[in-house]
Amino acid sequence: MTEGPLSGLRVLELADETGHFCGKLLGDLGADVVKIEPPGGELCRNIGPFLDDVPHPDRSLSFWYYNTSKRGIALDLKNADGRALFRRLAADADVVFETFRPGYLDSLGLGYESLRADNPALVLCALTPFGQTGPWRDYATTDLLHMAAGGEMASCGYDGSDVPIAPTGGHAWHMGCHYAYMAIMAALVYRSVSGQGQYVDASIHEACALTTESAIANYIYRGETLIRQTGRHHAPAPTMRTQFLAKDGVYVTALISGGLNPRNVAALADLMDAHGMAGDLKDSKYADPAVVAASTEHIVDGLLASFIASLPAEDVYHAGQQRGFTWGAVRAPEDLLEDGHLQDRGFWKTVEHPELGRHFVYPGEAAIYNGTPWAISRRAPLVGEHTADILCGELGLTQAALAALRESGAI
Amino acid sequence: MPPPRALENIRVVDFSWVRAGPWATRWLGAMGAEIVKIEWPDSERGRLPSSTTPQGMATTLNTSGNFADTNVNKKSLSLNVRSPKGLEIAKRLIAMSDVVIENFSSRVLRNWGLGYEELCKIKPDIVYVSMSGYGHTGRNHAYTTFGPVAQAVSGLTYQSGLPGQPPAGWGWSYMDDTGGMYGAMCVLTGLYRRNTTGQGQHIDQAQMISAVPLNGPALLDFTANGRRTRRPGFPPGNRAYWPGTPLANNFRGPTVAPHNAYRTHPLGYNDWCTIACPTDDEFARLAQVMGRDIPAEFATMSDRLAQQDALDAWVESWTTTLGKYDIVERLQAAGVRAMPVQSAEDRVENDPQLRHRGMYRPMEHPDLGVRKVQNAPFAMSATPVENTLPAPRIGEHTRDIVEGLLGYSHDDLRAGFDDGTFWPTKRPLFDYQQEMLA
Repeated sequence: MTEGPLSGLRVLELADETGHFCGKLLGDLGADVVKIEPPGGELCRNIGPFLDDVPHPDRSLSFWYYNTSKRGIALDLKNADGRALFRRLAADADVVFETFRPGYLDSLGLGYESLRADNPALVLCALTPFGQTGPWRDYATTDLLHMAAGGEMASCGYDGSDVPIAPTGGHAWHMGCHYAYMAIMAALVYRSVSGQGQYVDASIHEACALTTESAIANYIYRGETLIRQTGRHHAPAPTMRTQFLAKDGVYVTALISGGLNPRNVAALADLMDAHGMAGDLKDSKYADPAVVAASTEHIVDGLLASFIASLPAEDVYHAGQQRGFTWGAVRAPEDLLEDGHLQDRGFWKTVEHPELGRHFVYPGEAAIYNGTPWAISRRAPLVGEHTADILCGELGLTQAALAALRESGAI
Repeated sequence: MPPPRALENIRVVDFSWVRAGPWATRWLGAMGAEIVKIEWPDSERGRLPSSTTPQGMATTLNTSGNFADTNVNKKSLSLNVRSPKGLEIAKRLIAMSDVVIENFSSRVLRNWGLGYEELCKIKPDIVYVSMSGYGHTGRNHAYTTFGPVAQAVSGLTYQSGLPGQPPAGWGWSYMDDTGGMYGAMCVLTGLYRRNTTGQGQHIDQAQMISAVPLNGPALLDFTANGRRTRRPGFPPGNRAYWPGTPLANNFRGPTVAPHNAYRTHPLGYNDWCTIACPTDDEFARLAQVMGRDIPAEFATMSDRLAQQDALDAWVESWTTTLGKYDIVERLQAAGVRAMPVQSAEDRVENDPQLRHRGMYRPMEHPDLGVRKVQNAPFAMSATPVENTLPAPRIGEHTRDIVEGLLGYSHDDLRAGFDDGTFWPTKRPLFDYQQEMLA
């Protein structure tokens, strides 16, 4: 079987909910990611939802999703034996990825300078809410708080309301992890040429602050503050609405690229006429840009809205796209299981959970790596699942030594 | 000697336009790759139309502020790839490069004669990253996207808003930014593999597709538990849970209250701060900073979850008396989680952390003057990540690349301007183009 593009790479992950997505990104592309958790399991195992709504550290669906393709060991870094074992693992690792508060690994004697002495090729990436320096360095956050400070909330909300809204789904963590992955891979590319490792200090706040498209440019080049609008772009002043309710109660995003003009009004007329819903749009008066401009409300809020209201959202989406309109149905996540295009691409993956005697469908890859497939190599590790495999199998500890470590609380 | 950069000696042929692709290559450039952006003024969609040209400045191909921020660290080659001569020149450049990246619809590059098989003939170990809307395979590969459409179709838009109201969605092309991230991630992963195995590959990245895995826990809640997000109380606005609806995790971490945005003094459009108290201890410290006793009805987490309207009103009666930065400083000093809602102006001018980290650093652009430019959200100890070139004016580096890199003569360059290879024959030249032909 062909392996992923990162096959052969060993990553040690010491990450909570802020960073475990980065380890998944590496692991699903073939890296051997060893997740090091405190005895009893990382606290983010307590975040729901849980399988069958039964809270348990091995039943968190959030943990399951973000920890695929990893092996897990329990190691107490507050314990001297735990630290010694970590050092041995780090001496042979390619990457250490950690999300502890700034300075914590250093305080344990396990900081980058110390680890590189045994392993000069090591790439150590620390991902933290604000980075390792600065006045907010030690502030505590949540996903919501990052969406506020990063600028996401200032751009999301409703027409005519000043309430800022943060999208759900943990996207502050996603943004931080995307950049952390980028930095780790750049360091590895450099190492593949130079043999030299390095330290990466990545900030979730900065990643979020970078992810609001033109908002910063609008301010820097024009001094503008943007308003929040329902289901569409922030803007310095109100723009045409783009979200319409379809017949089945599902919304459709129907933007008219470049605004209304005679050319796209004619195309719209053809599309709507095929469903007997063109109204007066076939009238030759719409060849005049001035008439189109003066009829925006009639065309958009009248005819287009009525056309969309006459069909189910998926029908509007496909009919529009097939005629060159960049439209989409506003789907709920569960609707995606029905999507033929995702099925054609083999997107959905079945993952075995042998201890439960069950298997579940997981979402697949963000991109197809032709020749080196993305794959979920295993479900998320149970608490301490691979401790013996790794400590005895790889580091050569005896069963008796393992038992002693267990007793002392090191593992 | 300046320190090395992570992607030193890597050359990227960049056919990408608008936002997602250029956002990817911007970062590769910041890490030291040489980015050759191939453009054609008649079919340009990233520079024009521009809504970010400074007031009082003529809107031209070279004055879009958003383009300028999105395209730092690149060189621009104006080239008509749809002419045989232009295609030949593009191939010569690809033969000397490591990466080809583009974000056209699924069949465009192949139709130009630059599909992956062709690219391999030119450069056997090329890393080719295509960044289309829906990918190069699958029944809807020809569909097109903008950020908002990818966000709608992939399930992201639906999960933002208030219960019983239309989706608030995302107020910008989140999937242009994030699609750009995936484009850069694919390039780096492909380069790492090439460097370690000698093999190139085609990586098929797509904006709509990359968005779907960002719904992981919500998708598993459906595939494992059968629970839909089309349910009362979802999405729960800024809260973790909407009172009066069935108690369920709403994919924003632990289910806790308070967890919301609160108005602050002086009640302007962006005068809000967010506060979240995941434990009884943090809630007690919040009350302490507020200088109030905890009302009996908010004693436990389940009380607070059930009575969030009253709880939020109680918190807001205090937050409206202070400015958002003041509140955040007081609460964080006491170990309570709080952050201001920040506009772009707040981030650039008022955020002490971003200032300390040097997030926005001035750079001079020949037409736009000295302006702040966004920097990388990470620091690398051995290989600095920094912006080194302002965004190129269109075709600004045509001579450098054609003569300096590809070895054509100056007469060849002039002939290419005369026959429409490097610039449309009827289109006036910018001053810097006149100069390069002198």
